[in-house]
Amino acid sequence: MKSTVLQNCNKCGLCLSVCPTYKVLNQEHASPRARLQLINFYKDKKVLSSIGLKEIISKCLMCGSCAAICPSGINHYSQFMEMRTKMRHDHGEKVAIKSLIFLLAKEYRIRLAAGFAEFSQRIIPDNFIEKYNLGNIPVKKFPKLNKKPLRKAVPEIISPEKSKKGTVLYFTGCATNYAFDGTGFATIKILKQMGSEVIIPEKQTCCGIPMLFHGARDQAEKNILINIECLSQDDVKAIIVDCPTCGSALKNEYPALQKQLNLDDTAVQKISSKVIDIMSFILQESDHTDLFETSVKMKVTYHLPCHLKNGLKSSYNTEKILREHPGLEYIQAEDVDECCGGGGTFFYEYPEISKQMVATKLKNARSTGAEVWLTDCPVCRINLSGNLKEKDNMIVKHPVEML
Amino acid sequence: MLDSKIRNQLEEIVGQERLLEKPEELICYSYDAYLEESMPDLVLLPVTCEEVSKIMKICSSYKIPVTARGAGTSVCGASIPIKHGIVLCFSQMNKIMEINTKDRYIIVQPGVVNIDIQKALEPFKFFYPPDPGSMNVATIGGNVAQNAGGPRCLKYGVTADYILGMEVVLASGKTVRFGSRNVKDVTGYRLSGLFCGSEGTLGIVTEIILRVVPLPETIKTILVTFDDLDDTARSVSDIIGAGILPVAMELLDKLTINAIEDSANLGFPREAQGSLLIEIDGVKEACEKEMQKVIEKVKANNATSIKEAKSDKERDELWEARRSAFGVFAKLAPDIFSEDVTVPASKIPSMIRKTVAIAQKYGLKVGILAHAGDGNMHPMIPADKSNKEEWERVEKAFDEIVEAAVSLNGTLSGEHGIGLAKTRFLPLVMNEDSIEFMSVIKKAVDPDGILNPGKFV
Repeated sequence: MKSTVLQNCNKCGLCLSVCPTYKVLNQEHASPRARLQLINFYKDKKVLSSIGLKEIISKCLMCGSCAAICPSGINHYSQFMEMRTKMRHDHGEKVAIKSLIFLLAKEYRIRLAAGFAEFSQRIIPDNFIEKYNLGNIPVKKFPKLNKKPLRKAVPEIISPEKSKKGTVLYFTGCATNYAFDGTGFATIKILKQMGSEVIIPEKQTCCGIPMLFHGARDQAEKNILINIECLSQDDVKAIIVDCPTCGSALKNEYPALQKQLNLDDTAVQKISSKVIDIMSFILQESDHTDLFETSVKMKVTYHLPCHLKNGLKSSYNTEKILREHPGLEYIQAEDVDECCGGGGTFFYEYPEISKQMVATKLKNARSTGAEVWLTDCPVCRINLSGNLKEKDNMIVKHPVEML
Repeated sequence: MLDSKIRNQLEEIVGQERLLEKPEELICYSYDAYLEESMPDLVLLPVTCEEVSKIMKICSSYKIPVTARGAGTSVCGASIPIKHGIVLCFSQMNKIMEINTKDRYIIVQPGVVNIDIQKALEPFKFFYPPDPGSMNVATIGGNVAQNAGGPRCLKYGVTADYILGMEVVLASGKTVRFGSRNVKDVTGYRLSGLFCGSEGTLGIVTEIILRVVPLPETIKTILVTFDDLDDTARSVSDIIGAGILPVAMELLDKLTINAIEDSANLGFPREAQGSLLIEIDGVKEACEKEMQKVIEKVKANNATSIKEAKSDKERDELWEARRSAFGVFAKLAPDIFSEDVTVPASKIPSMIRKTVAIAQKYGLKVGILAHAGDGNMHPMIPADKSNKEEWERVEKAFDEIVEAAVSLNGTLSGEHGIGLAKTRFLPLVMNEDSIEFMSVIKKAVDPDGILNPGKFV
């Protein structure tokens, strides 16, 4: 009795109960159901393209919670993405977003920009950095960029520590490559300890999600093709990601775009089936307990990223490891699985809404009394740490850095 | 279109932020969970009773239709502005004004979501029993307007049984208050019962005092299966007939169970023709005794397996599966037709037989799902609305299901309401004088017919 037909939205409204934007605004016109209806009206030419329409379609974190709960199994995600493409085509994009897309479309541009930004972070006068905010987040709280991109700092092929138990590819994502090399080094260290030969394909580039979210499908296409090429390697048992958003791009969005972009179906499916986040990979391999660094003694809490929950469907693995780890005292925050309001560039585009989301997260994390707030996603990490106050005495890290 | 002078007066009341008029915004308030759509001319999101009162004064002087809306989860089209005009959306008027479990009441604004009431009461070990399927989304204002039910209403009763008092803005803009914080209160007419279930046709509820009850000490949940759907239905009638009162007694047929298993794989018995999910609550000893009696009854009706939930987690899984029924059915076809007829408990076996026969007659698939303990049937027909020929068959089957329920002393709707969906069936259960009496009340309260016009009255 498997469904083969395209489902209609029954307008039941269940998606409203999980939509982070609806929960803050309490407006139907900020709900997934409304976006779907508007897309239908637009297709039927019952509503015209307008700035207002673009605004409603864009006021969304692309967290995927609506699709995850939808009883009719509607793929909101790809419908929203397609509509975003149309709206971008009709009404353009903010300069800042346009520049971001421009940068991410070419690896050398990201590299240049990161180099320049790293340099700028050193030369920009302190009073500028003290004064300005990007969205909600003070500029001074953005992560310091890596001295050297991770992929330049380590060899392309890294041998395992002990006897080889197989080869894995490591898709580092832009955040780890340019800003959070600590996550990258920790991931490589663990993989080596587990006996994996680690290949970090040199040609890999931005997964394309930031462009797809902003409707720049053409720009994303080139990146997708490059990544498919360098991730299509035989005799590889897994493709490791440390960023859940990159992960769900490789796992879900590439296959979803296969027809539209005429991608190599076999290659896309193969990549999709091998993608796994580092924490789930550790859990999946036996004897992971000997990887735990027992000298640490720390109180930690956790934020579950939406794309880990809804994209990679791996809601419990990181927490399981945190609970098992003898050196960590894990205290679950009340709203561990609620969206933090980061959402790619959402925190920049809609700071007022984002602020309300992150405020609750901060309150609940504080009340755990943890010293370290762990989260797998780099955007969540920037958003959470950017909103913490000096007096909070709490740092935000990727869970793999705690092992 | 609304005259710009009127529009500006309304803007003065709620401000620019809470007045919506662009087409892309209005579309979002043209639908609810029913099949139809109709565009409002303007949407206002009031947050106080005073604002509502001022709005109504303007609307009554210009005779503008007003349709109240909460989260828009009505499955009978109650919140669709079929005559256009203004939609008053209450989703932002959502404060809990007072929680008083010592005196066992809670005072809320209409936009509070049902689940948020439950969450607010939980620390006090209290709850608010009505639990419609949409409780995670639906607002209490909508629950009151529709007199919402839910699975556990079998034991605890429906929304109307929990309203102690309310504040209502009338069509004229006058604000009236009925009831009090007291369970016993015979001061004047019990008008809360008139407004509850009126589907927004008599007044706009702006505050509600709800009765709340302590959480039970023990909950026991079992899943029982049968080889025969008739045996399943008879068990329900026998249990109710024997004076046992479970919290809930949910019936699922083979098609429904298999649809659930296809999507969730919870280990439900696929071969069983019928299954019952039965829940008992209360003090531990009483619970055990009652459950014993339930088990005797289902065994006497040839139950093939009885599985008790061993933990909260197992219990949640069983309910999760039950709640997913509508969704998994929705995946079988582009559209789904869900019914809500209700019959006396003793008539459940014949109602189920008739429903299956009707579906067969029209060559349709039907899943039988029911809050069986109170006779509230939810047969579901997956179909494709764009297939005209098939949809005609669905509509014919739907007519016959309603007629069958009426012939068994049943009624049109147990908990979904009349709205746009069932007005034409009213004469089946109400004589002309009764329908006219409703119009008399309507005319007295809303002489210009501006409140949710185009609905059942």
